[in-house]
Amino acid sequence: MPPELEELTRRLTEIAGGADVLSGPPAAEYAVDGMVPRVAVRPGSQAEVEAVVAACAANGAAMLPWGGGTAVGLGNPPARADVAVSLERLTRVVEFDAANLNITVEGGLALSALQATVAGGREFLPLDPPRADRATVGGIIATNASGPGRLLYGTARDLVLGLRVVLPSGERIRCGGKVIKNVSGYDMNKVFIGSLGTLGIVTEVTFRLLPLPPMRAVVAGVFGELPEAVIARILESFWLPEALELLDPRALKALTPALGLDGLPGYGLAVSLAGSQETVERQVRDFAACFAEAGALRTATAQAEASVAAWQAVRDVFDRLGGPRGEPLVCKIAVPISKTAAFLASVEALARRLSLPGAAVAHAGSGVVRAAYTLGSGAPLPEVVRDGLDALRREAEAIEGSLVVETAPLPIKRHFDAWGKPGEAFVVMRRLKAEFDPRGLMNPGRFLGGI
Amino acid sequence: MTVRALVSELQQIVGKGNVRHSAVDLQLYSYDAYLEERKPDAMVFVHSTEEVAGVVRACNKHGAPFVPRGGGTNLSGGTIPVKRGVVIEMIRMNRILEVDRVNLRARVQPGMFNLEFGNALAPLGYQYLPDPASQKAATLGGNVAENSGGPHCFKYGVTTNHVLGLTLVLPDGQVAHTGGKAPDAPGYDLTGAFVGSEGTLGICTEIVARIVRLPEGVKTLLAIYDSLEEASETVSAIVAAGMVPATLEMMDQLVIKAVEESIHCGFPLDCATVLIIEVDGLKDDLDLQAQAITELCRAHGAREVRLAKNDAERAALWAGRRGAFGAVARITPSYLVCDGTVPRTALPQALRKVAEVGKKYNLQIPNVFHAGDGNLHPLILFDWRDAEQKERVMKAGMEILRTCVELGGTISGEHGVGIEKVDAMHLVHGPAEIRAQVAVKRAFDPKDLANPGKMFPAGEEVRHAA
Repeated sequence: MPPELEELTRRLTEIAGGADVLSGPPAAEYAVDGMVPRVAVRPGSQAEVEAVVAACAANGAAMLPWGGGTAVGLGNPPARADVAVSLERLTRVVEFDAANLNITVEGGLALSALQATVAGGREFLPLDPPRADRATVGGIIATNASGPGRLLYGTARDLVLGLRVVLPSGERIRCGGKVIKNVSGYDMNKVFIGSLGTLGIVTEVTFRLLPLPPMRAVVAGVFGELPEAVIARILESFWLPEALELLDPRALKALTPALGLDGLPGYGLAVSLAGSQETVERQVRDFAACFAEAGALRTATAQAEASVAAWQAVRDVFDRLGGPRGEPLVCKIAVPISKTAAFLASVEALARRLSLPGAAVAHAGSGVVRAAYTLGSGAPLPEVVRDGLDALRREAEAIEGSLVVETAPLPIKRHFDAWGKPGEAFVVMRRLKAEFDPRGLMNPGRFLGGI
Repeated sequence: MTVRALVSELQQIVGKGNVRHSAVDLQLYSYDAYLEERKPDAMVFVHSTEEVAGVVRACNKHGAPFVPRGGGTNLSGGTIPVKRGVVIEMIRMNRILEVDRVNLRARVQPGMFNLEFGNALAPLGYQYLPDPASQKAATLGGNVAENSGGPHCFKYGVTTNHVLGLTLVLPDGQVAHTGGKAPDAPGYDLTGAFVGSEGTLGICTEIVARIVRLPEGVKTLLAIYDSLEEASETVSAIVAAGMVPATLEMMDQLVIKAVEESIHCGFPLDCATVLIIEVDGLKDDLDLQAQAITELCRAHGAREVRLAKNDAERAALWAGRRGAFGAVARITPSYLVCDGTVPRTALPQALRKVAEVGKKYNLQIPNVFHAGDGNLHPLILFDWRDAEQKERVMKAGMEILRTCVELGGTISGEHGVGIEKVDAMHLVHGPAEIRAQVAVKRAFDPKDLANPGKMFPAGEEVRHAA
């Protein structure tokens, strides 16, 4: 260990205590894309995060912020990695203000723990990225993670009321507040949501909550053909589903028991409904009829607790695929809403052509396709996969969309930019980064355009 | 900078007839709905992104500040050219470029009025949700600049939740696109940073807006109270019962009186306050929701609850609410609209404090506000010709804002900082927060040419901080 790093480690130990400053093999747990930080530190409070970041900044040490690690593969490999700053000890509920429908928690709290807390007040946070048991709220903000429910409830940018962020200088700022309407200065929450920790570390989040709906249900259908017309019909109706998930045949297969279907092959369409008994029952009838009219081969409905379990399975479908061992490749493709289904078909076709085991699903009313494959022993060469991804990216970009690599083996990442080429507005992004982090110490190299 | 050289350059870009710099023209563009006046050096009409880019490039070259202007309905002095320079009048860029129903998006120009946009979408069965009360005269570009709210925010959010992409002319004249029809564009959320930036980060020349289906059903209720307190407690009770109405609006007696005198919507003149409550969505449970709300209102002391029986009755209720500011303007030469926000449960306390402040400074302060999201609009009535009165008004306004912050809220819910609340920024932001915002400003506008002199307290603007 170089002397300056030894001194930094001593300083970090003073701040966080020896048991929470790790080096050697324990620090390797915090590797990103094979890059092992020389030290990992687990500060125990927001004040300690400030002190840790200030100490790293004083030493010119590059920092990797860590949450639950569920999205750690997102982006390009880090250019440098000196100190991993893990928020796993920052799990306090700062304030649950049930009467005003908001909660303030520390950045290291897992989403499922937050949901358990607010469920006690008969409320919920309508944000449902995968792996809620491990995904932390700070990580969700940094990666702008979302799930099927974005159709009705939006994403983090719609649900965050306030943040506290430790800037690369070690200074902590407050953004937003506790109220829905707030135009007192710039909307700084937006600057940090989705910034992948390149502008600072989110140590506290205030979310807007909603009352728990009295009733839930899931309606799922199997279709022999890509159900594009059904999706279009749903999106132009008065219906207000929470989520509308399109499943490729392999995702459908993985979810067959969970959705109460019988294994008939095809494309799946799963709708999540929530609200009053009157509106849910009416929509269950309407969707069943709509699916039948559209030629669904099978339809199944789950209510109450069964629907919660079914939907949990849909959200975490990539963890239920099974299949051979190997390294994961996960991509997210964003396109205009009406192109979502067709794009899922493009992704599926590519996967079949390359014989990639895995599946693709789409948030069909939101313009998002997510695909997860396993690159095992029989996988095609990295350059073949890269060429395939590149073709998909060009197809997406031609319709104003994007393809982002959420996880990939290094040989692919080294020669395929995770985000694609930046647009005209990049000049402002680069200046923004330079303003907040002039020495490039926060997550260097992992974000768009080498930021 | 010589004004003459700049004017001649502007004339080459937009044509001679579209550049105004006579004394009368400059006077016309020296004020907005706030209480100050400052003349620009010139005013230009623009008609395209290219023209805006040309004008901004010219300003940049001459080091001239520029201020984009829509309807001028902001209430914080956002469009007053405090550092002179060029006012860029956006009002002629007022077309809908595309209504893309299958993608639930529309592309619109910033000079279109909010209500006009809504009226164009309604026959197609769609709507754009942000609906500031000034929607007849407020432009979509102005809504973007101010991150405007409106009565429907409690359920549907504010402008930023419905603007997904922008075409921007940056302060050096470069054109850049942010966001768009596809979601989650890689990189920083510059669209999100721009919305609510009050013209200080550049000019938006095209907006990609989210459009949604009109709801299947709507029910609008009027609840009449003899006590302000009981009405604000009802608001919290409705939310506590697990309901999320589309709107929860409140008006007090003075406002009701003014509204009735000017519009005649059928509000009773002898009550203390009314609540306008609207529920919308699928039609199946709206009657039940309306019934549950009616019972809650009665349980909390409403003396009468009326359900609008048809569209005409509903329209009358909304005409009253939307016409409130205009109606109040009839009873007094001027008024200052405070725009503080508090957590909903703190509303009764905030209202008590507003009444105290009125007594202390001997001022009349009627209230009309978005109760559902805790956004107060006390209207402090006065006569602008009386300097002593104006001073008292400013003090009273600041005291109300300070109360909002103390109760866990903030200094502006939807009207912006502008020049009005520059000094109040310190109530909610410490030096580090201000510095971080100035850093954002500098990333977009290193020369501080876009609407300078707004938002940041004197001495903390870009030039001083650099």
